[in-house]
Amino acid sequence: MSAVLKPPSPTAEVQPLVKLRDLSVTFATRDRTVHAVNGIDLDLAPGEVLCILGESGSGKSVTLRALMKLLPKFARVSGSIEVGGRDVTKMSERQLSNFRGTEVAMIFQEPMTALDPVFTIGRQIAETVQRHEGLSRSAATARALELLELVQIPSAKRRLDAYPHELSGGLRQRAMIAVALACRPKLLLADEPTTALDATVQIQVLLLLRELQERLGMGVIFVTHDLGVAGEIADRVAVMYAGRVVEEGPVAGLMAGPLHPYTQGLLGATVHAGMRGQRLTTIPGAPPTLDVVPTVCAFAPRCSFVHDECLAGVPVLRSPTPGRAARCVLVPDR
Amino acid sequence: MEPILDRGGPAQPLLAVKGLVKHFPLKGGLLGRTQAVVRAVDNVEFDVLKGETLGIVGESGCGKSTTARLLMRLMDPDAGSMIFDGETVGVNEQAGGLTLRDYRRQVQMVFQDSYASLNPRLPIEETIAFAPRIHGLSSADAVTRARELLAAVGLAPASFARRYPHELSGGQRQRINIARALALRPKLVILDEPVSALDKSVEAQVLNLLVDLKAEFGLTYVFISHDLNVVQYISDRVLVMYLGEVVEMGPVGAIYDRPGHPYTRALLDSRPSMDPAMRRTKPPLTGDPPNPVNPPSGCRFRTRCPYAEDVCAARKPLMADLGGGHIVSCHMASPESGHSLAGKLYEVPPPRADVMGVPA
Repeated sequence: MSAVLKPPSPTAEVQPLVKLRDLSVTFATRDRTVHAVNGIDLDLAPGEVLCILGESGSGKSVTLRALMKLLPKFARVSGSIEVGGRDVTKMSERQLSNFRGTEVAMIFQEPMTALDPVFTIGRQIAETVQRHEGLSRSAATARALELLELVQIPSAKRRLDAYPHELSGGLRQRAMIAVALACRPKLLLADEPTTALDATVQIQVLLLLRELQERLGMGVIFVTHDLGVAGEIADRVAVMYAGRVVEEGPVAGLMAGPLHPYTQGLLGATVHAGMRGQRLTTIPGAPPTLDVVPTVCAFAPRCSFVHDECLAGVPVLRSPTPGRAARCVLVPDR
Repeated sequence: MEPILDRGGPAQPLLAVKGLVKHFPLKGGLLGRTQAVVRAVDNVEFDVLKGETLGIVGESGCGKSTTARLLMRLMDPDAGSMIFDGETVGVNEQAGGLTLRDYRRQVQMVFQDSYASLNPRLPIEETIAFAPRIHGLSSADAVTRARELLAAVGLAPASFARRYPHELSGGQRQRINIARALALRPKLVILDEPVSALDKSVEAQVLNLLVDLKAEFGLTYVFISHDLNVVQYISDRVLVMYLGEVVEMGPVGAIYDRPGHPYTRALLDSRPSMDPAMRRTKPPLTGDPPNPVNPPSGCRFRTRCPYAEDVCAARKPLMADLGGGHIVSCHMASPESGHSLAGKLYEVPPPRADVMGVPA
C-alpha cells in the first residue's frame, strides 16, 4: 500500500521522534564564517518519512549531520535537538556511540566512502551487531545474512564474503542500508542515497527504502534535491532555502499547490514530461552566500512578488490550512 | 573568422557515423598482458542531421561518454568512420578528407565538470579568446569576439571578462564553457551531461540558453544525458544505448510515446512520477546494468529482459524499422527472427519486476 494512502499519524498525542527547535549551525574558520543553518524547527512523527528538499548550500545536509552530532569540531551548534525524547547536544561521547547505530543510523550518497574497503560486507554488518548487542560471532553472522536478505541482495550467502569493491553500485547501496539497519534503528537519516545511481537502479533503491520503512516502522529523514524522488518516497516535505525551512507540508498538497515563491519556482524549473517546446521558467540569480545571517526574506532578491514587507524582517511561518506552512508574507495566516 | 558555409545542402547529414568501435584492453598479471576487453562502444551507427538536436541516453557504462569523446576525436576509434558534411574525418585534403584541425573548428564540446574544463590561471575572456587566436584571429579581434560571446551567454562582459573561474558559480562557469565552445563558430556542439552538475533552478537557465543559442547561431547539438526528462525536453531525435550498442533510435515523440525496445520501456518507466498519487509498487527492472567487460552473447539486454528466449542468446538482433525513422534492435520487432513473440512488439506489456527472475 502506498504511504500516502495511510491515515495521517496523530502527531498531537504521539511524542515526536525528532524535535528540532531553533537549530542553528555556524562554521567559523579563520578566513570566513558561514551561517549554514539559521533557526530550524522541525518535528518528525514515529514512522513518518520527511523529505528535506533544497539546492546545494541550503543547509539540508548540515541539518541531517547535526541530528547525529557528526559535524566537525569547529561547527557551532545552537538550539535543541531531541531524538526519542533525549537531548543529542548534551550527550557524552560514550552515550553518542551507543545512540548512533541503535537509535539513529545514516546512509550516504557514496557507499564506497561509508563502507570499509578492507573488510567483507558480512564482517562489517556482524561487527556492528556484536558491538551494540553483544551477540556471539556466529549469531552476528547469521543476523548479517538475514539483513542481506532483507535488503534483497541476490545470492546473499555468497555476498557475505564479498568486499565492497566486488559489488555493483546498486548492491553496494543495499549493503550500506543493511549495515545501517543492523541494530534496528528507530530513525534512519538518508543523505541523497540515490543521487549517484542510474535511473533503473534508483527506483529499485527508493522502493526498497519505502518497503523497509513500512515494515520496520522507522522514521526517515531523507535529504534530496530531486522533486521526483521526494514525490516517490515522502509523506511530508520541508523545503529549505538559505538555512531556513521556507515551506513544509504533506507531499501531495505541496507538489500540487506550492505556497512559497521559491517552491513554485523550483517546481516550474524542474523539467518533466510534456514540457517540450515550452520555455522553462527559471529563478533568476543565485542563493545568498550566507556570510551573514539573512535578516530579511533571503529569497527576496530573486522573487518576482517582492514588496516592502519582505525587507522588513524575516517572514514568520504562516499556516493557511492545518499541516501546511510557508515563510512568506503573501501566504494568508489562519 | 566567419562560420564555414554549408556544403552538402540540408538533406545531407552533418555527421554520419558508421561502424564505430572502441575497445579498452584491461592489462594485468605479471607480464602486463591483456586480460580482458571493455567493449565500450561496439559498432555504433547513426546520423546527425543538420539543425537537429540528437539526444543520447543510457545508464553508466553504456558508452555514451566514450561516444562523445570519439565524435570529438579526443581518442581514436578502433574501427569505423565519421563523415562530416560529405568529407571523411581525419584524412588529409588530397584524399578528399577533412583534417582533425579543420574538423575541430567545426565541432566543439562542452563537458559536465565546468571547473575541470577551464584553465584556472586564465581570466575567462582569455580562455574564450584562446582558440580563435590559435586559428589565426588577431589578439584584439579574438578578445572582441570573447566579449560578444560573454554577452550572448548572458554574462555582462564589463563585470565578468577579467574574472577567474574560481570566482564564478557552477552555472556561470557552464555558461563560459558554452561561450568557449562557440568561439570558433562551430556547426556541431557536443554537450556531454552539460546540466547534470547544476541545481534545478540553474539547470533551467542553462537549458533555455542552449535553446536560444541554437537558434541564434544555427547550431546542431548532440546532447548526452542520463536525465530522460531533459533529453525529452531538448531533443528532436533520441538514441538509446545499452552496453556499448544502439538499442533504439527515433524521433523524440516516437521514443517517448511508443518505445519499442524492452530496455527503453523500462528506462522510461523508472522515472519518478512527480505525482505522489501515481507511486509504483514494483521496479521495472531488477539488478544493475552488467559490466561491459564481458557483455552477454546475442542481445546484450537479454539477461535483464523478461521476454528473453533462446534466440536472444544465440543471435544478435537486426535493426528493425518501425517506420518514420524509428528503428529498434529487438528480435520481437523482426517478424522472421524466430522469437515466439516476433512481430508482436507492441502487444507485450512493458517489463515489470514481478514477471522477472532475479539475475545472478
